[in-house]
Amino acid sequence: MRRILFGALVATLAATAAYAHHSYAATYDVTREITIDGKIVQFVYRNPHSFVHVTAKGENGESERWAVEWSGTTQLGNSGVTKETLKIGDPVVIQARPSRVQGEYRALMLKLKRTTDGFTWGSPGQQVD
Amino acid sequence: MATLLFVPVAAQPPRPANPPDIAGEWTLTNNEEDTTAQPPLGDYLGIPFNQAGRMRADTTAESIWGTPEYQCRPHSAPHQWRGLGGARILKEQDPLTREVKAYHIQFMRSLDWPVFMDHRPHPPAYAPHTWTGFSTGEWIGNTLKITTTHLKDGYLKRGGPQTSDMYAMTDFLTRHGDVLTITTYVDDPIYMEEPYVESTTYTIDLTSNVAMETCNGTAFAENGGTDRHHVPHFLPGQNAALTEWLKKDDWIPVEPTRGGAATTYPEYKPGTTPKVPQSKTSVDAAKAIAEQSPRDGQVHILPVQGNIYMLIADGTNVAVSMGADGVMLVNTGAASMSDKVLAAVNQLANMSVTPPGPNQCFGANCPGAWGWSSPYMNAIISSPAPARPIRYIVNTSAAPEHVGGNEKIASAGFFPRGASFGAAVEGIGRHASIFAHENVGNRLSNAPAAAQPTDTFFDELQKLPEYFNGEAVILHSAPSANTDGDSFVYFRHSEVIAAGSLLSSVSYPVIDVDKGGSIQGVIDGLNKILDLAVAEYRGQGGTWVIPDRGRLSDTADVASYRNMLTIIRDRVKDSMKKGMTLAQIRTSRPTLDFDPRFGSTAGPWTTDMFVEAVYKSLQEKK
Repeated sequence: MRRILFGALVATLAATAAYAHHSYAATYDVTREITIDGKIVQFVYRNPHSFVHVTAKGENGESERWAVEWSGTTQLGNSGVTKETLKIGDPVVIQARPSRVQGEYRALMLKLKRTTDGFTWGSPGQQVD
Repeated sequence: MATLLFVPVAAQPPRPANPPDIAGEWTLTNNEEDTTAQPPLGDYLGIPFNQAGRMRADTTAESIWGTPEYQCRPHSAPHQWRGLGGARILKEQDPLTREVKAYHIQFMRSLDWPVFMDHRPHPPAYAPHTWTGFSTGEWIGNTLKITTTHLKDGYLKRGGPQTSDMYAMTDFLTRHGDVLTITTYVDDPIYMEEPYVESTTYTIDLTSNVAMETCNGTAFAENGGTDRHHVPHFLPGQNAALTEWLKKDDWIPVEPTRGGAATTYPEYKPGTTPKVPQSKTSVDAAKAIAEQSPRDGQVHILPVQGNIYMLIADGTNVAVSMGADGVMLVNTGAASMSDKVLAAVNQLANMSVTPPGPNQCFGANCPGAWGWSSPYMNAIISSPAPARPIRYIVNTSAAPEHVGGNEKIASAGFFPRGASFGAAVEGIGRHASIFAHENVGNRLSNAPAAAQPTDTFFDELQKLPEYFNGEAVILHSAPSANTDGDSFVYFRHSEVIAAGSLLSSVSYPVIDVDKGGSIQGVIDGLNKILDLAVAEYRGQGGTWVIPDRGRLSDTADVASYRNMLTIIRDRVKDSMKKGMTLAQIRTSRPTLDFDPRFGSTAGPWTTDMFVEAVYKSLQEKK
């Protein structure tokens, strides 16, 4: 079940990507945090930004398809994430910043945890940039 | 006589004897503004926005980047110099004189930007717009002046401030030793009260190499969900983040952050209206828009792609397929233009016939030769075949500007319908076939026989039964769009779509609710076009789309128009949910940010009529 946590205020804006073509701070609500609990259906490991696509159950039990934006390959590679790290079907719990647009299934990765083996990304020092 | 897109001969531009060499790899030094820190939402400081520009910026969602049509777009032209990754400037030389014919400027996230130095004219207004536009350069002393027109709509800066597609951009490049200063004027009469001016600094870097950012975006959508036609935007007043940044920078008053010409002058103080010299735009918006669809009583010809030409016939576009099988027209223009449309078609048909030339084959084994005499003799005495006749006409609706020329133009054509057993019946088989949706046929039931459709369809689509000019031609229905009988035509090998009434670059779509039209039907029709069309590279070109009126378009242009209509639909729908009446909705101006570009207060299709049509078509049927 996806849970949305309101009111998690963040003092500073999200860092910007050196090669970003859009603005993170403009795209995502940096004052809010949501949790997406679902399964990976697609992992797009690429530049300038990678994406993890997850299906999760919404508040009314319906299936929702989320696109969670992650770092580019260089940044992920530096933190040990390769294109082999995540597999389709992996169950994950993702903490993320939601889109500023209401009703959009888009989010910015804060933390990812695979529940089968505890693999985690998003510890201090690991952030989308 | 129709006029083709000819380039007149012109003199070389004046240039200094030894212009500075600006070619090389340049690194962004950018002493002016830290563009690595992307501007926060709502920061319009220094932007001479007008009311429309401000509203457009307020309601623009950055995640518009994630839509399929925009994922691969390069940075918009005004942002390129401020984008990251440096700049590469190349010289293209005349092989004989070694003079610079053109500069080519490239950035990390860009297309090649050619700047023509040979004094060629800019294309006509009905030619396509691109992300880099059409640029010409001239030396003024030691400064290279680049004038750019034909730009797509985009953004001035990331994070909200937008540009229309009617702006002109002028760059002045001045080299001082290893430093290159670029001064840019963005003259957008739609969204600004006066031109926006900024300068950017680069330094030569012998060790750098401008990287190219590839785009892998088209295989999936970045905005999540399952609606590939999702258009992100904020409803007016919904964007709560516009003043978020002022919590940190609380020494800045809100007023100047909203932009406006007066706020850009040193004399400005919040709460005052200083008298400042305002340099107005040099772009006449109304004239520039009108020139995309000239009502000059003439027919202009724009070659498109493959078999297809676009005729601009006194304000209405006619698509023409020309080839070995003959001629097909999508719509016939107004009745008053029939003779000139026919003259243009004949001009093209004669051009398509191979003119006689010197024989290239000698002897008895020349390929493709027929007849009793030697192939050599056959070739030397040959003459070109006559131009092929008009075979088909498609009417995308029953509007007078679509069917007005049916009678005269169809009668000038020839399709061998019933050539044997039907030949005894007068009229049958002696003129071009006319295809249309069944509801068009119903509306033309009282028209002269020769003007009526010969073949109608009622289904989702109608394929021509066989290839025409070497390609499949498919008519797609657009149910409940502008009317209940609209369609568009897809030329599958030429990769051209004639959009009919669904698309215009000069006005809001004309929606006749009484004849079954609806805003949702128009949006659905445009989405269907977007599903079929594919961009060539970086979100432009590829499948060309001929609008009913206005300039030749591509996927990005169709997406922009679809985005606008979706945004307006959502605004009107939201107002209706709040219980607002039509009069109240009109007063709220849900189209304010698009009116300078597409609106009208007079003429046959005003903004008020458009808003009323949107409102009525969104009302639940009782």
